[in-house]
Amino acid sequence: MKLSRTKQILTAMFAVLLATPAFGQTLEPIQVGTPAIVEAHPAAVKLFGNRQNSQLVITGKYEDGSVQDLTRVAEFTSSNPQVAEVDGTKIVPRGDGQAEIKVSVGGKEAIVAVEVSNHGQVDSVSFLYGTLAALSKQGCNAGACHGSPSGKGGFRLSLRAFDPVLDELTLIREDFGRRADVVSPDDSLLLLKPLMKVAHGGGRQIRKDDPSYQVLRDWISEGLQMDPEGHAKVVGIDVYPPSGRVLKRPAHTQQLSVTARFSDGTTKDVTELAVYSSSDTEVAGVDADGLVVGENRGEAAIVVRYLEFIESTFLTFVKDIDGFTWNNPPVNNYVDTHVNAKLQQLKYLPSETCTDDEFIRRVYLDVIGVLPPVEAVEAFLADASETKRAVLIDKLLDQPEHAKFWALKWGDLLRLTNGQVGADGVHKYYRWLERAFRDNMPYDEFARQLLTSTGSTLTNPPANFYRTADDMNDCVETISQVFLGARLQCAKCHNHPFERWTQDNYYGMGAFFNRIQRKKTQRADELFVYVARSGEVTQPRTQQQMKPWLPGEGDVENPDEIDRRRTFAAWLTKPDNPFFGKIEVNRIWGHLLGRGIVDPVDDFRDTNPPSNAALLDALAKDFAENGYDRKHIVRTILNSRTYQASFRPNEFNEEDVRFFSHYQPRLLSAEQLLDAICHVTDLNETFGSLPPGTKATQLPAPDLVNNDFLKIFGQPERQTVCACERTSESNLGMAIQFFNGPLVYNKLRDENNRFRKLLSQDMAHEDVVRKLYMAAVCRTPSDAELQASMNHLNSKENKVEAFEDLCWALLNTNEFLFQH
Amino acid sequence: MITRTIQSAISLLCVAVIALPVSAQEEPAPVSFRKDIAPILINNCLACHGPKKAEGGYRVDSYSRFIAAGDSELAAITASNLDDSESLRRILSDDEADRMPLEGDPLPQEQTDLISRWITEGAKYDAENPEAALSAIVPPPVYPDPPEAYPRSVPITAIAFSPDGANVVAGGYHELTVWNAADGTLVSRIKNVGQRSYAIQYSPDGALLAVGGGAPGRLGEVRLFDAASGELKSVVASTSDVILDVAFNPAGDRIALAGADGAIRIHEVATGAEQRVITSHSDWVMAIAWNGDGTRLASASRDKTSKLFNTENGELLVTYSGHGQPVKGVVFHPAGDKVFSSGSDNKIHLWAAADGKKASEVALGGEVYKLTRSGGFVFAPSADKTVRQFEEGSHTEVRSYTGNADWALAAAFHPETKRVVSGAFNGDVKIWNAEDGAEIATFVAAPGIAK
Repeated sequence: MKLSRTKQILTAMFAVLLATPAFGQTLEPIQVGTPAIVEAHPAAVKLFGNRQNSQLVITGKYEDGSVQDLTRVAEFTSSNPQVAEVDGTKIVPRGDGQAEIKVSVGGKEAIVAVEVSNHGQVDSVSFLYGTLAALSKQGCNAGACHGSPSGKGGFRLSLRAFDPVLDELTLIREDFGRRADVVSPDDSLLLLKPLMKVAHGGGRQIRKDDPSYQVLRDWISEGLQMDPEGHAKVVGIDVYPPSGRVLKRPAHTQQLSVTARFSDGTTKDVTELAVYSSSDTEVAGVDADGLVVGENRGEAAIVVRYLEFIESTFLTFVKDIDGFTWNNPPVNNYVDTHVNAKLQQLKYLPSETCTDDEFIRRVYLDVIGVLPPVEAVEAFLADASETKRAVLIDKLLDQPEHAKFWALKWGDLLRLTNGQVGADGVHKYYRWLERAFRDNMPYDEFARQLLTSTGSTLTNPPANFYRTADDMNDCVETISQVFLGARLQCAKCHNHPFERWTQDNYYGMGAFFNRIQRKKTQRADELFVYVARSGEVTQPRTQQQMKPWLPGEGDVENPDEIDRRRTFAAWLTKPDNPFFGKIEVNRIWGHLLGRGIVDPVDDFRDTNPPSNAALLDALAKDFAENGYDRKHIVRTILNSRTYQASFRPNEFNEEDVRFFSHYQPRLLSAEQLLDAICHVTDLNETFGSLPPGTKATQLPAPDLVNNDFLKIFGQPERQTVCACERTSESNLGMAIQFFNGPLVYNKLRDENNRFRKLLSQDMAHEDVVRKLYMAAVCRTPSDAELQASMNHLNSKENKVEAFEDLCWALLNTNEFLFQH
Repeated sequence: MITRTIQSAISLLCVAVIALPVSAQEEPAPVSFRKDIAPILINNCLACHGPKKAEGGYRVDSYSRFIAAGDSELAAITASNLDDSESLRRILSDDEADRMPLEGDPLPQEQTDLISRWITEGAKYDAENPEAALSAIVPPPVYPDPPEAYPRSVPITAIAFSPDGANVVAGGYHELTVWNAADGTLVSRIKNVGQRSYAIQYSPDGALLAVGGGAPGRLGEVRLFDAASGELKSVVASTSDVILDVAFNPAGDRIALAGADGAIRIHEVATGAEQRVITSHSDWVMAIAWNGDGTRLASASRDKTSKLFNTENGELLVTYSGHGQPVKGVVFHPAGDKVFSSGSDNKIHLWAAADGKKASEVALGGEVYKLTRSGGFVFAPSADKTVRQFEEGSHTEVRSYTGNADWALAAAFHPETKRVVSGAFNGDVKIWNAEDGAEIATFVAAPGIAK
């Protein structure tokens, strides 16, 4: 005994000597200063029963317009501790009556009026809003745990409590009520397992002082009560503070409070049972109590989930950067205004404007998909006009290659393949797409034609939309991803685990598209698309017949009787639709800048906020105001200084990858790369039976030709509508292709390639080198590069072979391989 | 410099401790591993240091493992050496990040004192096999009394008639409750029973009352009581999860156990010795039945199969997968060549013992729980709140007993008094007259709660 005590003491001594902070991030001390005003949220609160509490959020507002969260340092005193007190930073009820909580900090005060009623009555735990919320809070019903379709360890919960009926059965009744012990609640497996008092595959998931623990224990001791018939339902949650708060270091923490609104008009603080996550944990984290802690400058959406209710609040974290001074970069149009505002706020300095040679290469690749002819580069570099970039942009947008290249991008999304729309259909569908771009068909008309198409897929090519989306589920998933930027697949089987999409929404949207019929005709490759006059959708879980449902609008009582799709298309394309224009301008932005404002470009959700919301809004507004003119948006972006920024970072922006302070170099796409090799070597590639001269960037469908090079470099098979199917990740196969792959090798050896033709015209070696540089990287070689090239040429007997080497080397430079 | 000081401090302290005169007080009884130490380990350490999770490469599920080093390679327990016993150091540590149980409340001092004293006394093992699972060597617990008055009813998961038919015995909370079968009044309470009981069966001679149950997720056991006096005779088996069914063989010298650990066990009734363990099922074994001559066992499992075993050698003879859902009940057809099984597919199947081919099936209105065979009939309690009675040979339905307000979880029949009883999820017990289906009594089998 004595010995063990000794040991204890010694261990303690060592522990002190070796003490290092074991857990948790360090919080900066709050520098209160002298706030102009101190505000308390909520300003007044009514608490019913003895279980409710209320999270306080105290905000200091300063003369200079800045704000900071003072919750952690405020002092609280109650005018009547018999009625209400503050425990930590929460108001807790003590008895019926009224009290005032005085908040004091920084020499200022605020008052919160508290009214407590029904304190003596037992406020039973609600199954839905207590028990299931607590299980969600602790992660029990997460997809990787008991929320998986088959559960874990014989215990299955519905994913994030989307199916309370199933959960009732499982928690209360399954296996003879094994999990809850109403006589001795502490002996319930439901508590012992997450406490790790009994072996639990998921480890320890709860502590006795977690609010969830008390909820679960009380629910058991109250006899596993279900919510009474007709109980008030939660209709929404509110998160405080709302989006937009900017915190400047040392201020970097923010306490949140979450209030649930009920159908009977009451509200209740649910901060303790809400679940928090951050869209960017590098920028800010959030703990189980709703305390947000900023780690780095940037922006984060804190997503708050309470059962199926999801809201987010957007916080910006800034700090002073040593030596940073804003240099007022030039502004070409509103794009730059918004980008610069964000950069200035976060203290990133935009890069210089790119050079003319960088610009011409970049803009050719983006607008028409290929490298500029050598003569065009020479003329452009020689042009002294101030407006030459804008002129070039306009000229390229009017070239037929522009329509073909952008048809390729949409061909990916529409799953345009020989296999899926037939040999005849693929060309007709592609030509329809190409014409849409050539004629600059307004995007709303484009969407309407696709979404409401009927008839023969051969005479009316957009009807192929319903050939590739060949059932209701595919329609819902395709249309939501392509036109709403939402990935709805999860909601087919259960409420979306992280987003506000529910299973009801999925099938409600389905009700617009389930009447579409497809039948084969006697003509080969033809499908006839038409709309039946009846047919309803049944939600598989609830067996409810679903009304057509629109995001943000709800159930549609009177959809178009002839064709419900018209109702959907009309809603989708109306100017104030919150999704439609944004998705497309973001997609265009992503094509041009290499990264969407929302990224991935087709993944709009609360947990994936835009990196510059004002910019996205402005582009969408401009788009709608200009009749959904896509070329107008492309032109606006290309003319911005943001697009024309150099890829070279400076000391104040090299960390930035998402606010567009500098151009992000990216590997040319598979098709661009193949065309670029052909361009440098001045040779054509033949693609199956397609007409000679067809470029890789002009292929109607990937399965019309079998080209290994394209596949290796990420040409998508177009099996999904996901923009992610086109990969840009580099791999070893790519390196081997350029090192000694057959395509590069054969082009270099070709008797008619560019340098052989120039040599046969007796052009000086120096000039041939210059031409190759102009073709590959749109500039003349530097003196050093030229010297090195000449040295190599002089060192070799066989000059043609020496040029093969030089050209090979050029093709292997990052400057060639990347758009920059 | 600091280190040096501490070192000398340690030596000084050690010297001081060693030099202390041994107390002249009377020595208490030596600490028992199986009685004193094993229960502490089971309740506080096994969840993280057991067969399912061996944190730090260290397990405490048997004596030999408990004293062996984990990944740290530091001796976990060294006999008579408190300083060289890493496990003790971790239990006593003042550093919360270091102290065991990790993230839990520290062990109370009387428990840590016991462990220290046990080590000082030589860390001896006082059971037979040092490799044996702790759960198998701890003495049967003496259970707390059931609540005088229940705060709420509990599901009636097990029910039986006394051999004379005068009483109904129902599973309660840490007890069996005995009720007058004629009027539903409480006759007696049999205490010292596990938290929950899932099976109650009298031995063929009526002398013994077997109760299978335990604490969910923690312990399974069968207690044998003297049927006449209610005195505890013995405790058979000690498993890691509850026992869900028990069955005496026709001769009455063996008892088969169906467990939530997935095992079927056969024990000798007289000695309690384990005769055979069959681990063929991959999930809970929910029910078990002997054939007429005791040579076969049929089982029902949550693994969605029913199986047939040779009891002489434990060999698996037939697997029946026809339910496609958890199987919850099983009995032999009187001819012995067929088996009735019931389950979550809401059906009772009849299949051939020879090859597992389905002979027939009947669909009920809810999942069908444990079947019982008695007096020439098969009784089937169901989640459709009904108990159905089938003629065992022809398997035609004779009668259905309705009126339960909740799932009927268990049923029993007394052929001489012609009474049928059911236990329901809501705690109700209902007794009917099997001759006309009339209800005799309904009561809540929870003392202190009136219907």
